[in-house]
Amino acid sequence: MTTTEYREYRVEEYTVAEEPFYAPLSDEIDIFTAAYQQRLPILLKGPTGVGKTRFVEYMAWKLSQPLSVVQDGTKAPASNNGESAIPLVTVACHEDMTASDLIGRYLLDADGTRWVDGPLTRAVKVGGICYLDEIVEARKDTTVIIHPLTDHRRMLTIDKLGQVVEAADGFLMVVSYNPGYQNALKDLKHSTRQRFVALEFDFPPPEVEMEIIKHEADVDSEIAEQLAKLGDKIRNLRDHGLAEGSSTRVLIYAARLIKQGVAPRRACQVAVTWGITDDEQMQRSVDEVVTTIFA
Amino acid sequence: MTTNDSSPAGDLGPEMATIEKELERFPSAVLEKYTAAYSELENRLRPQDLLDWANHALAIAGKAVRSWEAAAEYLEASPAVQRQLPSGQFIRWAAIGGRLCEDSPSLAVSFFKASPDALTRLRPRYVDDWANLGRALYRGTWKSSNLACHFYEISPQLLESLTFAEFTRFGESLQVLSRRSYDLADECLVKAARLFPRLGEDRDAFITVSHDLAEHSWREVKSLYDSASTSLTALEPAYRARLLMIARRLIAVEQTAIGEFFAGASNAVNHVPTEFRQRLLELAEEPLASSPSSVNLLITQAPNILDRLSPSQFEEWHREGMRAIAESPESGPAFYRLESARSRESLDQLSSGVELNRVKDLLRTYCSALSARDIEVNATSTIVDKKIGWVDEQSATTEGTTIYLPPVADRFPQKDENFGWYKVIATHQSCHIEFGSFEFDFDTPSTLFEDLRPQMKPAAKVATDVSAVVAELAEAAIPGISVPEAQEEEGGIETAYLTDMGRFFDMFTDRTLGLDIFTVVEDTRLDSRILHEYRGLAASYLQTQEFSLRERPRIEGLPMREAMIEFIVRLSLRQTGSIKVPKDFTDIAQQIRRLVNMLSEIGATVEDSAEVATRIYAMIADVPNNTIPEEEFEDVDLDDDIPDEDEEENTDEILQMFGGEGESAGEETGEAAETDEQEQIDEESYDSPEDVDYRGEFKPEMAQLLSQISMDSADFDGEPEPITQEQLEELLKNSTELEQGEMEEGEEGQQQQMDEMLENLMKEMQQRDPDNQQFGDGPLVHVPEEGGPLEATEPKTFVYPEWDFRANDYKPKWCVVHEKEMAEGEPQFYQDTLNEHSALVREIHRQFELVMPEMFRKVKRLEDGEEFDLDAVIESVIDRRTGTTPSDKVFWRRNKVERDVAVAFLLDMSASTAEAIDENKRPTDDWGAPDDPVEYMVWLRSRRAEGLRRSYKRIVDIEKEGIILLTSALEQTGDMYGIYGFSGYGRENVEFYVIKEMEERWSPSIPKRVDRIAPLHATRMGPAIRHATSKLTQVDAKSRILFMISDGRPQDRGYSREGVEKEYAVHDTRVAFDEARKEGVTPFCLTVDKNGHDYLKTMMQDMSYEVLSDITMLPTRLPQLYRELTQA
Repeated sequence: MTTTEYREYRVEEYTVAEEPFYAPLSDEIDIFTAAYQQRLPILLKGPTGVGKTRFVEYMAWKLSQPLSVVQDGTKAPASNNGESAIPLVTVACHEDMTASDLIGRYLLDADGTRWVDGPLTRAVKVGGICYLDEIVEARKDTTVIIHPLTDHRRMLTIDKLGQVVEAADGFLMVVSYNPGYQNALKDLKHSTRQRFVALEFDFPPPEVEMEIIKHEADVDSEIAEQLAKLGDKIRNLRDHGLAEGSSTRVLIYAARLIKQGVAPRRACQVAVTWGITDDEQMQRSVDEVVTTIFA
Repeated sequence: MTTNDSSPAGDLGPEMATIEKELERFPSAVLEKYTAAYSELENRLRPQDLLDWANHALAIAGKAVRSWEAAAEYLEASPAVQRQLPSGQFIRWAAIGGRLCEDSPSLAVSFFKASPDALTRLRPRYVDDWANLGRALYRGTWKSSNLACHFYEISPQLLESLTFAEFTRFGESLQVLSRRSYDLADECLVKAARLFPRLGEDRDAFITVSHDLAEHSWREVKSLYDSASTSLTALEPAYRARLLMIARRLIAVEQTAIGEFFAGASNAVNHVPTEFRQRLLELAEEPLASSPSSVNLLITQAPNILDRLSPSQFEEWHREGMRAIAESPESGPAFYRLESARSRESLDQLSSGVELNRVKDLLRTYCSALSARDIEVNATSTIVDKKIGWVDEQSATTEGTTIYLPPVADRFPQKDENFGWYKVIATHQSCHIEFGSFEFDFDTPSTLFEDLRPQMKPAAKVATDVSAVVAELAEAAIPGISVPEAQEEEGGIETAYLTDMGRFFDMFTDRTLGLDIFTVVEDTRLDSRILHEYRGLAASYLQTQEFSLRERPRIEGLPMREAMIEFIVRLSLRQTGSIKVPKDFTDIAQQIRRLVNMLSEIGATVEDSAEVATRIYAMIADVPNNTIPEEEFEDVDLDDDIPDEDEEENTDEILQMFGGEGESAGEETGEAAETDEQEQIDEESYDSPEDVDYRGEFKPEMAQLLSQISMDSADFDGEPEPITQEQLEELLKNSTELEQGEMEEGEEGQQQQMDEMLENLMKEMQQRDPDNQQFGDGPLVHVPEEGGPLEATEPKTFVYPEWDFRANDYKPKWCVVHEKEMAEGEPQFYQDTLNEHSALVREIHRQFELVMPEMFRKVKRLEDGEEFDLDAVIESVIDRRTGTTPSDKVFWRRNKVERDVAVAFLLDMSASTAEAIDENKRPTDDWGAPDDPVEYMVWLRSRRAEGLRRSYKRIVDIEKEGIILLTSALEQTGDMYGIYGFSGYGRENVEFYVIKEMEERWSPSIPKRVDRIAPLHATRMGPAIRHATSKLTQVDAKSRILFMISDGRPQDRGYSREGVEKEYAVHDTRVAFDEARKEGVTPFCLTVDKNGHDYLKTMMQDMSYEVLSDITMLPTRLPQLYRELTQA
């Protein structure tokens, strides 16, 4: 009766309705599109906050659009009506994730058990894009279950049910990982890695990043430019004791705070400086860079 | 009055005659003197007195064997004395002298001798006292008599500046001293005579001090006189009196090093601001009662402290010191010596100055962030000390990789303003790097101009860049100029340019002018860029510019050419309104303004600056450097719109300035113009403009030279052409960047300076060559093994003791460990190793995987455990319901033994690890390094060169392989580990290379550093072990392991006694391991030396070690050992 404050989707029914903003860095859109046409699984590499997830969302939206451009100025509502839209199933991986968390499991109910498909199974069945974020976080025995889905077989074995599910036509596996942790423990197995078309992401060049910030936070060019510069400078410190450079995401956060009237220097301090490091010396250094760039 | 009697002796004639007769007994001199004196006195004395006088003479002469000499002096002095004394006193005088003669004739001699002079300054009634003062010094010994005599002799001199009361007290103080040492008293006497006249009114006080001191601590008195004569005399009377007063009070409380106090305090007082001197001494009195030993320190430290604090802050600091003393009197000296934290903190808090040391790391990170390069920040003194052309310690500068800043920023009253200043100057230098000042490429086109550089010709000496340039020159030859033949003799190839910057400056006839113009133009470009890029800094940057502008010299006072340069400087500092320039050159000024303004274009590059500099040079070089009257200056309006470039730039005209002058060139710079026009004969010599302080020193040519070296050798393919000494010399001669401090007079002096600089530069470049980096921060210095303790003076050096088993004791501070980060090589070796041993890698990984994971995480699916695993339970229930066999593994348990291991691997990098592992291919030269460092280098180089061609594996390669395999597995375990290599040559040069620090995260640099592990020098294990131990103790881990991999026994130059006892090294190593164990570190030694068993037994005793019989087993064995070691 009453209008709900939130919208609820079944995991396999979520589609990206609005066009997400995405500023391409090079030919990744074309590559992704081509790979999708050929149903080749895709691996996205890159540091945190460069826009991997956004890219997947964008591609899910873009690939859902009819190929022919809308002729008469009016937006064709059909493009988003769920028929042609490609569902996007996102799973954030973590180290305790088991195969059942992906495939599905029996649940107990009053008089027996009930099987529930996991997100991966759902994506396979509806033919959506299954996006496994930070795949290296998952245990290696978990990741092997995606192997049959990522080669010519395109099938998922559900051993508890004794079933094999052939992937629906639209299904695509996309995984991401952050090679920043150069650690033998947190590396993809070669047998996994070599099933994907790999796209590398790095922080966008300042000009592009500026556009992104400007768009995402709706700030003026000057602020956006300065934030992009700040990001660039901070990333120079990656070899000087900073684990990760400042992500585009935190720059956008800073921009949003500025948009809300927070003084730029302070906004950078809370959104950028304190977020990227706990080391006091480093914080001071970054602060000095901030005060050099922002008046 | 009977003095006028005709017969002078009157009735007494016969008696006198008898006396005369008596006197004949003595050496003739006596009678002669008697007669002479008599003739003078007979008319002046009453007969009775005369008789008395004569009788005294006789008495004196007869007192002792040698007393006739006293008599002679008596007679000699008499006439003069008589004139000053009334007759009664006169006879008394004689009587006093006579008494002295009884004690010692020589005393009397001196007394009489000194009397005429002394009595001019002595009241008659004091004669007795005077004599007694001297007499009191005499105690019958030869030395005492000397002293007393001396006293008399010097008395007239003393009396000249002392009142009799003072004189008496001085005499008394001498007495006190003489009781201790006659020699000392005598020395003081002499010094006093010289000192007193210079002390003015403070003699009295000084004598009191010296008297007091003699009573309290007689030994100090001499130094008191010594230092007083240099220090107190240099002080103004007001402070002197005060200081003396303090001194007295110090003595009263047994602070008796007064000489030292005067020396230090006077010097200090003279070095504090005049208006604060009196106050300082007042303050110094405050701790007199509570902490007298602080007084001296307070005064002597004052100049230092006042360098950092204002006088009022100084008082504040002193208040804090007094509070510290109130709490604990003993803390005073430490406070004033700046050795207490309280004192330093208070000082820091008070001083607004910012010290570089405190902000160095911050600025380093800051500059690295801005410039995207690995930048070091250091004090200017470090580059000045290198003596390679930088001389000014107050100017910031950079040579392309390190930014040098002055040690303190204290020009503003507020600390943050001072830090802001640092930030401004550091940013400017960092932007030289960021915006490519040193990346000038002669052949890169500029972005804004038609490039003139390609058409320019070198000015003085046509550098013959092999045939091409020569040919070009010949072709373009202007009539009348032929390619000078002389160059052929110089040998064409050597003059090829070392740097692009040098090549550019070579185009200028007047290099100095060229550099000056380029400097200000390039700085202008940077400043515009900075203001555009870094808006947060803009406010303080502009303020700094304004500040600098105020400091500029008056343009009207400058000769014309300098005025034109000054015009550009002011333009670059954003002067607004108008600037005066010589009126004939206002057009040029506007043109310059247009050019300079173009550089504020954002994309402008250093090449644009070069083009602008070229053009400005062409305009200015001909401006005569004459001083002209002020009226001849005219305003250039800066608010005018910049005139458009209405006509085509006449490039030919500009180019004429370059190369066209070749006719007269060839001599020294600047002379060319002289020959051209006569009116310039009286021209003043050109002086570079005053530095703009915030911009510091700019030496693009040197920077290019220095950075080139590190880059050249960085790209590995093909040996870069080594720079020859001749080339460098040429560069140094030509370059105008090098200020050689105060130019020494004469050719010889200059040559000497040049040679010195050349040598330093060669040294510097050798260091910058990454191939050479192993050789440490300077030439190897021999420190004799017999020598004393060493100090760790440089950063990253550490001193450690060494165990001498014969003495059964430590030699303190015996070895210096130099810690260095290993340079990066190629990652190839690492990859190759992993590929080559891929099977082994997998095997090791599996083994580690088996052991490790369950040790540090929650173990699930167990038949028994702490708690139910809910997931497993549900699954089990579901299985039962669905009819499959349920699993009973439904528990989980957390493994309590959390793995917490820190391990330091210590790799032997001694020269012996260069041995081939295959005996047949072993290189012929065995371990037998020459003792002389120079020969040693040659030997080492040949070895290294050999290494490059080797086709066999060396021990060190096996070590590397082992460590690579192990690290790839270690990353899996999460253990903390560090990799270090050690070698060294002599106790002062223990080299400790960091390949990976304990806390360092794995990064692609690690394999590159591993690649650089190579055989170096000797094996001094002890200090390396101690250093590694100290690293281990700094990390927080339950088990700490020191894992040493070596190829043989420890040995090094002097790591033995008389070079024979190998046990010395073995024992020191054992003790070092023992120390490690006491620190809770488990040592383990793995050696590949087959003969290792004998000494390892001694060295390791009950600690574990392993001797590998087959070295090729090392990569396999190492991970196994590690696992066993850490599984305990």
